[in-house]
Amino acid sequence: MIAVVRRWLPWMRPQDASDRPYKWVIEPVREGFFARVREFWRYRRILWFLCSRAIKSRYEGMTLGPFWLFARPLLPIIISAFVFGGLLGVPSDGVPYFLFFLTGQAAWHVFDRSLMMVTRGLTINQNILKKVYFPRIMAPISAASIALTYFAAFMGMMIAAAFYYLFKDGIWYLRFGPELLLAPLVTLLSLVLAIGVGLFTSIWQLRFREMRYTIRYFTQFWLYLTPVIYPLSAVPPQHRWIMYANPMGPYVETFKWSVLGIGELPFVPLVCAGVTTTVVLLAGIWYFSWAEAAAIDKM
Amino acid sequence: MDNLFVDGLGKSFRLGRPVEDNPFNPKQWLKNARRTLAERGKTEPVTGTREFWALRDVSFRVQPGTVLGVIGPNGAGKSTLLKILARVLAPTTGRVVGVGRLISLLELGAGFDTDLTARENIVMNAAMNGVKKADALRRLDAIMDFAETREFLDSPLKHYSSGMQLRLAFSCAINMDPQILLADEVLAVGDIGFQERCLRRVQEEAARGLTVLFVSHDMEAITRICTRVLWLHGGRVMREGDPEEVVDEYQNATWETADLASDEKGRHINRFGRILSVSLESQDGREVGAARVDEKCSVRIRVETFTNLTITHCAMDLYVGNVWVLRAHADKERRVEPGIHDIYFRIPANFLAQTTYSMNVSLGIQRKNDAREYPLVMYKALRFLAYAGEGGTPRTAKKAALLAPRLSWDIVLHAVPRAETAPTEDTDTDTDKVPTDTIQ
Repeated sequence: MIAVVRRWLPWMRPQDASDRPYKWVIEPVREGFFARVREFWRYRRILWFLCSRAIKSRYEGMTLGPFWLFARPLLPIIISAFVFGGLLGVPSDGVPYFLFFLTGQAAWHVFDRSLMMVTRGLTINQNILKKVYFPRIMAPISAASIALTYFAAFMGMMIAAAFYYLFKDGIWYLRFGPELLLAPLVTLLSLVLAIGVGLFTSIWQLRFREMRYTIRYFTQFWLYLTPVIYPLSAVPPQHRWIMYANPMGPYVETFKWSVLGIGELPFVPLVCAGVTTTVVLLAGIWYFSWAEAAAIDKM
Repeated sequence: MDNLFVDGLGKSFRLGRPVEDNPFNPKQWLKNARRTLAERGKTEPVTGTREFWALRDVSFRVQPGTVLGVIGPNGAGKSTLLKILARVLAPTTGRVVGVGRLISLLELGAGFDTDLTARENIVMNAAMNGVKKADALRRLDAIMDFAETREFLDSPLKHYSSGMQLRLAFSCAINMDPQILLADEVLAVGDIGFQERCLRRVQEEAARGLTVLFVSHDMEAITRICTRVLWLHGGRVMREGDPEEVVDEYQNATWETADLASDEKGRHINRFGRILSVSLESQDGREVGAARVDEKCSVRIRVETFTNLTITHCAMDLYVGNVWVLRAHADKERRVEPGIHDIYFRIPANFLAQTTYSMNVSLGIQRKNDAREYPLVMYKALRFLAYAGEGGTPRTAKKAALLAPRLSWDIVLHAVPRAETAPTEDTDTDTDKVPTDTIQ
């Protein structure tokens, strides 16, 4: 079966059985798209390594280790949930505000964190980029793996909170069913969006050190233009297009719909966001391939 | 078939604007404004970026089993060349075609992560070089044996000394069965024992068909293990060929440029005299540029004196490369009158080795009623080659040593062998003689 797939997908064909001498060429103009995909496949093991290394090196040597994974976002979220839900009385479509807020933050953090990490991807891996060759695009992509640990932590907290409300109110708020399948898809799409944008910013980060802070500055506003803190139902219909114009809007909304079963499934905006994401990713790959050589020279 | 084929390789770096040229820096606006006011119409405006060619038109080809030494002064483009071959940098022009797995050791280390343990690093390094995890673990023993760091296998690399990291990196690289190995100054921090083992291992692997590109400033190591040498200078190939010839030429060239830069020729003149010239004369008095090893020759130092002086001593320092071979010294005091004098140093036959010598010359001069000595020194006064004539000495291998004097030797019987061993020796010589007789 796998052999058949390999025969039909040209980039999966085993180019080097790693023992047979193979011929390679280095030229100023890089190979085309398919050659790059094939190369990416050939070096796929490195992607795993870079990912695990990124996660490991972040928590290695910390006494509390993974505890911080939970502790770091938990306190700000409790405080924000208290301020927005408790003091300001932001509506939450019938779900306890804390759970509502946690779900929204989980979806948002995948994007926010991975954009930050992908931006720093080249600088983090500077040391090996200068010594060993592997497809350079793997450096920023692998950095996104840290965001996935955040996502896992949020999921854990969400389930814990759901159990808490089950014992407190006797209601199980999370949804079980085929709709839940949309949640991973939307998470993946927001990850891809972050990588697409991050491919641009990771190159810029090498030249402008303030890129990181600029991104942090803008994602703050972006958060408020995305239905994370408030439900989409609280937005007047004539202003909803603002939410939908930004691809993260439909993603977060769909995530909440599929996990909590609140709000509505914004089908058309979701498809549009998917198209936008694909375009951004392709543009990012193109830009990165075009700029990587010059960027590595400057490192 | 070539293992590595490099054709017209070039790499240009764009030298960016200096940091102060930041367009968002108000201080810079003032500075720029002041400069434009002051230099109106005087100079051309400074353009944004400059191009710098670190490599230009480098072409060479390497057969499997070659150890190619890459030499050249700092900034010659050696590291850039290796980085391009390792694909860390992309070339600007030209192309490289290679066959087989290429493993690079650039600037001490193969991209190890100091937070990971040696075992994890080896597996990761293997993955980077396209070796499967199982394969890498199978080679673990061989790697550890060569690196001799087995007891630290599971401790993070940050606790390793730089020498140990180097051992691990080298061992890891050579045990991955590369077809091409790039080594950039990797032996610089290893101890002598490890350097020796590395060089021997490289030679062994080369005999099996491994191609090595070896960058080093250690000319001794280069001439010992390399089968060919590529000399880069200013990003271009100066020469490529036989290690000894190229290294010799490279050393001579750097010697000369270093000499010009140091500006130390100046002391060959003072108020009372000067060294006019130093030259080499053959046995029959002709001025020559090279000396025959098996003939006498002499070094002529032509001195001009302006007053009545005493030459207190005269010395000649002989160098090969930057190794000081000997100082020939003559202490006889000689009074001289104003004029031009020739001082001769006689070099005996069968004294010099076949190599290129360079020479410093110094004189001490004293005036009447003046205890001070005024030295006259001429650095790098003369360079000459010593060569074997037609009837040369076949037993002295080329570049055997820095000097090859023919000394007299004698055989003197020191002790008579004991009585019981004597007869057996006699019979031995008899049996030896018998067959030769029969043949005759």
